[in-house]
Amino acid sequence: MKGRVAWILIGLLVAILGSASILGMAKDTLVVAVMAPPRTMNPHGSDADANLQIMANIFDGLLQRDADGNLLPALATSWERVDALTWRFHLRQGVKFHNGNDFTWEDVKFSLERLKEPYPVSEFLAFGAAIAEVRPVDGDPWTIDIVTTEPVPWFVQNLHQIFIMDKESTETRSIGEIGEYPIGTGPYKFVEWVKGSYLKLEANEDYWGGPPPIKYVVFKPITESSTRVAALISGEVDLIQDVPVELFDMVKSSPNAEIITRPSRRSIWLGLRNSPGFPGSDVRVRKAIYMAINEDEIIEKVMMGHAFPCSQIPDPPTVGYDASIERLPYDPEEAKRLLAEAGYPDGFTIKLTGPNDRYVQDEQIAQAIATQLAKVGIRVELDVKPKAVYFPELDEHGLDFYLLGWFDGSYDFGRSFTKLLHTVDPERGYGGLNGASYSDPVLDKLLEASSSIVDPTLRADALRLLNRVAMQEKIAVIPLHYQEDTYALYKPSNVQFRPRPDGWIVCKDISFGG
Amino acid sequence: MISYIIRRIGQSIVVLFVVSFLCFGIFQFLGDPVLTLAGRYATQEQQELVRRSLGLDKPFYVQYAIFIRNALRGNFGLSYTSQVPVMRMILERFPASFELALVAMFIALTLGITLGVVSSLRPRSPLSRAIMAGSLLGISLPTFLVGILLILIFSVWLRVLPPFGRGEVVRIVGRWRSGLLALDGLRHLILPAITLGLYQLAVLLRLTRGGMLEALAEDYTRTAWAKGLPQRAVIFKHALRNVLIPVVTMAGLQMGELIGFSIVTESIFQWPGMGNLLLTAIYESDHPIIVAYVMFVAGLILFINLAVDILYGILNPKIRYD
Repeated sequence: MKGRVAWILIGLLVAILGSASILGMAKDTLVVAVMAPPRTMNPHGSDADANLQIMANIFDGLLQRDADGNLLPALATSWERVDALTWRFHLRQGVKFHNGNDFTWEDVKFSLERLKEPYPVSEFLAFGAAIAEVRPVDGDPWTIDIVTTEPVPWFVQNLHQIFIMDKESTETRSIGEIGEYPIGTGPYKFVEWVKGSYLKLEANEDYWGGPPPIKYVVFKPITESSTRVAALISGEVDLIQDVPVELFDMVKSSPNAEIITRPSRRSIWLGLRNSPGFPGSDVRVRKAIYMAINEDEIIEKVMMGHAFPCSQIPDPPTVGYDASIERLPYDPEEAKRLLAEAGYPDGFTIKLTGPNDRYVQDEQIAQAIATQLAKVGIRVELDVKPKAVYFPELDEHGLDFYLLGWFDGSYDFGRSFTKLLHTVDPERGYGGLNGASYSDPVLDKLLEASSSIVDPTLRADALRLLNRVAMQEKIAVIPLHYQEDTYALYKPSNVQFRPRPDGWIVCKDISFGG
Repeated sequence: MISYIIRRIGQSIVVLFVVSFLCFGIFQFLGDPVLTLAGRYATQEQQELVRRSLGLDKPFYVQYAIFIRNALRGNFGLSYTSQVPVMRMILERFPASFELALVAMFIALTLGITLGVVSSLRPRSPLSRAIMAGSLLGISLPTFLVGILLILIFSVWLRVLPPFGRGEVVRIVGRWRSGLLALDGLRHLILPAITLGLYQLAVLLRLTRGGMLEALAEDYTRTAWAKGLPQRAVIFKHALRNVLIPVVTMAGLQMGELIGFSIVTESIFQWPGMGNLLLTAIYESDHPIIVAYVMFVAGLILFINLAVDILYGILNPKIRYD
């Protein structure tokens, strides 16, 4: 008798709990689970994509990018490069900030100058330092010139992630307040941010591009990937970012979930020292290492099929990407011959440094490379470590052989090259992430020649040339693969979503399909 | 008693100093916050600018001295990433961790004592053996696995309980939001609380059972049986009451750990508590949060230990502190 009562009670409990989960919200709300919580609501306070993707929903830049990575007008309706230093923008009229203030050229000037202020205001110091002046042209407040201190050919390429703030409300509030309550012109207005739990946004009905299709958006950070997947399968969230490879089968086996993938912008590649006396100074050795690496095997066994071979650092939407560059074939015999020819018939010993918590399967990739290179006589000492230790080492430029992943937020190979492969020159901020002090005067000259070209088409040609010489002749780096971006959708919500090259979740482009 | 308490407080302060010093020492190996705070494209000069503005260019002992001076005034600094006082951030997250620990401890205590008593009455019965085998699982299964399994069973397969988060919370006072007052909040508490409390449950169960087996064999219990007292009175009034002192002491001591070290559980269930805050802070090299968290938890555990010791002295007159 007692037993029966207990069972009835348990049954009731389950029924109550179960029914509560069915009473979901009416479908005017999109719930997105992201990998990392946003750090701050100060749009210049973090240059991490996890933060920028959220800011892009609340703020507008002068320009924006569509789902294919094309640069489009936003707060500026059109733009042109007047001369090497000057960029002209025609501003959109009649735009209002979420607090009712009008958008004017003063806001643009204020926001761009704000980039120069170091911590805690801005993480875009380098970009800010390049801005000399913002001024209206011939007294017309809707046409402005932005003058840079030196030629910055990629200047506009970066403007989709430089968000425009309201001068009045930013100047009158403390940095702590600005970091907790954002006021932008974007498609969504801020509602509430409970740190660690959720960020809620509401559609801006007065958005200059028309009101977005979905009324409310809730971003929830779920850092643990299996929990993120469970939240999706159980219908708690509509869209998740980053499905780890090992959970693919679980998502696929669920009738309610659907996986969407696209090649990531990030390429994984190996840097190699070329200072005199080091084996890597001989391009035959560089070729030999390239040809001794079986990338197909790495993709199949280590990446479980979820990566795409790459032949260069930039990805297709990046200025300077050249589709004609091909990978060197996998040919260990030829690699051995090249090594012998270069004077290393018995190979050599080299230390491969890399992170073990930064990229998909990073440590396993390094291990696979060590095994593959051993087959041609190159003995690899593995030195993998947490990123918090690895990246400061990379900044010292003292590595011999290292694994790095890269994509350029400003979609410009010229900028990537300056940071990654230009001869180290701290004064000018060149080669900051050039981990092995790679240096080639020809490549440096090609880059410098490209930066003064005003015409964007000609400059793209110059960067493609730089890319070809670097990748085909000099083997400046050994490219491995592009990672894969993965998302999953909760099918019953019928979310219409197209992944973007930058991986951002831009909600005005998302709708509930009919 | 008073002199004992004063001495204990003195010891606690020394411990807090040692903890803060160790914390600072570890930062030297935790990664450089300046690299992210200056931005990906910053020049070395710009990085140095940021380093100076954070005071990180000063030698280790000067940084430590500044920290101690401010900490003594109750100022633990601003978070590097969000520019908000770190103690406020920690206190904002405290209710979530505290409620989770409270519910976990409630589950561990009630189930632990009940099952402990049940398994001690007929130690050789199949039921007792099953309980003991289960408690062994509770002790040896890693928290991580338990959490994932619970999510898989109750959220993915049965779909009766939510897999993550706090759900609906009710604002009680100021920034204190409680999930205990809303049905949705309670539903969200169940899985993480079981995950967090399972180990403690197993420990308390074994402690109760061990104590009960001993107590049931004691002379006073046999006398109670011989007097013809009803079974209930013998078990609960005579045996269990004596067993409870060490059990409750143990539970008290574990409470601090449940609040402070729920990091794994909080990360699996994306529970917005202090453990989650700490994980994010470590990921972003946000040193002020890390040091304030460690100091807060160390202080909390020291306080609870002291309180338990004092209460123990009051509950058990045989104990004397000199």
